[in-house]
Amino acid sequence: MSDLAKEKAARLLKKRGSLSSLGSHEVRAKEAFAKTKDSISTVSYMEEPGHHDDIPRPAVQMENTYQLRPARRFPVLTVKDILKDVLTSYLQEEKYEPELCRQMTKTISEVVKARVKDLMIPRYKIIVIISIGQIRDQNMRMGSRCLWDETNDNFSSHTFKNSSLFATATVYGVYFE
Amino acid sequence: IVVALFDKNVQNNEEHNLAVESTIGNSSYQHSKINQWMSGIVESSLSQLTKLGKPFKYIVTCIILQKNGAGLHTASSCFWDNSTDGSCTVRWENKTIYCIVSVFGLAI
Repeated sequence: MSDLAKEKAARLLKKRGSLSSLGSHEVRAKEAFAKTKDSISTVSYMEEPGHHDDIPRPAVQMENTYQLRPARRFPVLTVKDILKDVLTSYLQEEKYEPELCRQMTKTISEVVKARVKDLMIPRYKIIVIISIGQIRDQNMRMGSRCLWDETNDNFSSHTFKNSSLFATATVYGVYFE
Repeated sequence: IVVALFDKNVQNNEEHNLAVESTIGNSSYQHSKINQWMSGIVESSLSQLTKLGKPFKYIVTCIILQKNGAGLHTASSCFWDNSTDGSCTVRWENKTIYCIVSVFGLAI
């Protein structure tokens, strides 16, 4: 039974979803195996090395801006165009290959984040999620639900498909009050 | 706020595990049920997170994939305040399904 677990662990490692960020942060996976009858679940989260300091960094105090609404809203259509542009330019002619696509997801997410930042929308936090998968007659469903402020926060997403792979890109913009 | 984030991460793990297990449990892949499962997982995760009562905005993402030998890569890149915001991912599988749930928490 433990051999089976090790095999599954090896396969899971190959399929690991990766988090990339601008700074040099360690991604340490804390694997907690919970074995129920037929299923295995693993949990991982990103740890910042800074949190292990003896002196914790004090939280940044922000002053009141007395602004009720953001100056500029999250531009959904502009971002969607950016996504369309980036996905087609990077993936138009590619075939699915594990190594290539692993690099590609990280690169594309960095590129999209940089371009959205260039839009310079003040006080908005950006989250970019890219998924690239192989097309092999399987079914797949992605869903997301958010708890946020409906008037200020928004998201934008786009899907790209060619003969051997598909790619989904989603950008969430959350207003920081 | 740093402490709050850590608690959130730890709790995220356990709760997500519970949320996913309770919704999918031992079923094998069924196309008709997928919608239900997905909404169930995402909503129960979100409601358990809100019960924590922390001053965070949450984004919960769920990917359900049929096991077919196909490969999938997911990456995410975030522009936020590192000291107050964080994310957590739970991967769950059984014989026929893969399920990946990610939560992003952004401080208000």
